[in-house]
Amino acid sequence: MTTPAIDTTALTRRFGDFTAVQDVNLRVDAGQFFGFLGPNGAGKSTTIKMLTGLLAPTSGTIRILGEDLKQNSADVKRQIGVVPEGMALFGRLTAEEYLRFVGRMYGLDRATTMQRTQELLDFMHLADEQKKLITDFSHGMQKKLALAAAVIHGPKVLFLDEPFEGVDAVAAGTLKAMLLRMIARGATIFLTSHVLEIVERLCTHVAIIHRGQLVAQGSLEELRAGADRRERAERGEENAPASERMRSLEEIFLEVVGTDREGNPAATAPEQELSWLS
Amino acid sequence: MAELDATKLASRFVRDIPVRTQLLAVAWLRWRIFVNSTFRRRGTGRAAGLVLAILVRITVWPFLALMVIGPVGGSGFLAWAAIANNHPQRLASLLAGIMLLWLFVNINGQSVTAAISSFDPSSLIRFPLRFGRYLTLRIFIGLLTPSTIVGCLALLAAAVGIGVADPALALPAVVVLAVYALANIFLMRMIGAWFERWLANRRFREFFSALMALSAVGFQLLNYQRAPAHAYGGRTSLILSLVRGSGAGLRWLPPGFAAHAILERSHPFAAIANFAALAASATLFAAVFAIRMHKQFLGEYLSDSQGSRAKPGAGQRRRSLAQRASLVASTAPTVRPAFAPIVAACLHKEWLTLRGNGAQVIAMLTPLFFVVILNRTMFAGQSTYFLPGAIAYVLFGVLAGLYNVFGADGLGVQVYLLAPVRLRDVIVAKNLMSLTMIVAEAGLAWLLVSLLTRAPIPLAMQVSTGLWTIFVIAANLALGTMRSIQAPRRFIPGQMRGRQTTPTNRTSGLLILLVLFGSMALQFPVTLLSRYFGDPWLGAWIFGPLAAAAVMAYALLLRNAEQLIMAHRDVFAEELCKV
Repeated sequence: MTTPAIDTTALTRRFGDFTAVQDVNLRVDAGQFFGFLGPNGAGKSTTIKMLTGLLAPTSGTIRILGEDLKQNSADVKRQIGVVPEGMALFGRLTAEEYLRFVGRMYGLDRATTMQRTQELLDFMHLADEQKKLITDFSHGMQKKLALAAAVIHGPKVLFLDEPFEGVDAVAAGTLKAMLLRMIARGATIFLTSHVLEIVERLCTHVAIIHRGQLVAQGSLEELRAGADRRERAERGEENAPASERMRSLEEIFLEVVGTDREGNPAATAPEQELSWLS
Repeated sequence: MAELDATKLASRFVRDIPVRTQLLAVAWLRWRIFVNSTFRRRGTGRAAGLVLAILVRITVWPFLALMVIGPVGGSGFLAWAAIANNHPQRLASLLAGIMLLWLFVNINGQSVTAAISSFDPSSLIRFPLRFGRYLTLRIFIGLLTPSTIVGCLALLAAAVGIGVADPALALPAVVVLAVYALANIFLMRMIGAWFERWLANRRFREFFSALMALSAVGFQLLNYQRAPAHAYGGRTSLILSLVRGSGAGLRWLPPGFAAHAILERSHPFAAIANFAALAASATLFAAVFAIRMHKQFLGEYLSDSQGSRAKPGAGQRRRSLAQRASLVASTAPTVRPAFAPIVAACLHKEWLTLRGNGAQVIAMLTPLFFVVILNRTMFAGQSTYFLPGAIAYVLFGVLAGLYNVFGADGLGVQVYLLAPVRLRDVIVAKNLMSLTMIVAEAGLAWLLVSLLTRAPIPLAMQVSTGLWTIFVIAANLALGTMRSIQAPRRFIPGQMRGRQTTPTNRTSGLLILLVLFGSMALQFPVTLLSRYFGDPWLGAWIFGPLAAAAVMAYALLLRNAEQLIMAHRDVFAEELCKV
């Protein structure tokens, strides 16, 4: 039996009267590079926080690598790596000190921690910043360090919340190559990003969350086929052959989330408003 | 695609990370944060900053040491006296006093602790920890705080005092007071953890501020109602009567259990029962603390911002362009503003911020109640000093806000830097708002004093106090504005104070306190000199030029504010704008 790397059932999170995530059923198979998309405030970060044990769900279950997160949170956390929304770095440490701390917290022995720390600092081009405190790092450098900390213990599942935000093109290329190598070695990566081109290039499977609810999930091909079916249905041409046009992820995304609750386009036509803009 | 088998994974999970590894990692983390915060400083004036910090600490530490030595020595003596003079019932009151001291230092000690408080232990939940280990870490993290040190030393001194008075009680005293210390540690943790939870809610913060202000005022009012200034020796003060009558009330509380567990020498069963009750209290406090920690461990969201997010309802549908245009027209100002547009806009923003901050309004009103109390206590029969004393008292609190005017803006300060505005206008607006509140507060205090004093306040005293007030406000405006530009620090309402402090801003905080205290205290020697020389106008002669100089200094600073801010843009970016 194949155990999914991530499996949620009716995952829900409420903040008072506001429901941030509602009945989300996610299934991410082991080895998938999974993109989790959604507009601002759709519930992506809330979901990722719940999947990594940083936020308790109001209801629903989460299984990571077959283990119930609530029942075996320590075991699950040993197998996952996280780059959370705020990166969760300790500003008054140096990068080396931080990685050493994280390595020890994940149970790595001293020698392995030291070795991996040096390798990661070299890989992330942070080795020259030995004396600098993390608080003095640029945003991009902090992001690279957060990613280094997320992988130091060799996680089986990696959760990345906007990992490329603020990272320069050279570093982004290096990181992408590293992530693809992790996938090739059997790891699972769960990634959120607003840069749809990156998701399209890296991810094999995608889910889209909108207003707290999962509105699409599947491989990129499945999403394209679904969009094509919907378009033909709208035209009343259900029996017509499938279109050969290759839809971009951006087109699919806009089609899925581009309407408000009443079904009107969420974005206002530019000619209607802001006419004073030059 | 790699396929993972659940049973294989489960077998890999069996080996736990040794507890020693994680405890040592956290201890090492805290040590490195302490070392880096103390010895690594950035930017210009690194050496000067370090020297200043050391100097301030050398100045402050002896006072702090006295604050420790006093209660510790006092505890030892009082415990000895209670046993030697055959007043065993006073031991419970003493132990209750130590508990209150522990709580007091716990609340106030954060500002003088080392940089370790900048570490948020709740962030540890992302690591693979079991709950028991997380709880252990949370108990150990922050154990070496001033409150624990002072409390434990006071209890140790009490045990020594008891042992000296009656050697037969030495062993039970040590054992019982060790458990009592544990009970206090868990109690402080319990209170701290639950308050952090409740204070995350803005409404609770405001309610709590109001409650604290009312309690303080109420207690003082009750105290002076029971012991009017002119009737000392008649009725006793509330504090004294509380202490005297506390023995019976404490009987069923941890201090009472601890005292009886030590003293019930002739009734071993009663002693054991009291000891068991004390241990049960400690367990109860630990359990309530653990419940909070468990919630935290499972992942909780403390901020109230997300919960209060507006839900799009039927009444909130997108307005049409015409509707919005009419709304804009209806809210647009119809009268010509009294200030320049930029100043008016910034003032409006400051007003909106103040309006939503109930705690600040309460903090402003509370000192006025104390003016009434001061009239009957400290300044009773001293009407000469009442006016300057009352003004100094109310100003002491409100002037501190002038030293970090951009702090609450945080990232929003970038708007000022990016917009085509003169930054001087922004500062003027912020200072105008502060000035309005300060003047209103001082004016109300003045009015209260005038109403409360039976004899008219001499004109010379009024002029002297008025000029002194102008001097203090203008000087603090100038110094505060300078400090706000040169060393802004981000202030996040609702976040634990300890997490926002660094050694640098703790040093500047102490300096600001010294400046404020110095400018307040200046009034009294001048008044004394004035009486000594028999010249009631001496104060006016001294404070007049000082006030003029301070106003000129402030004007000069405003003139150069633009360049000053531009020269410190990097500090703004580093301290306020960093995500």
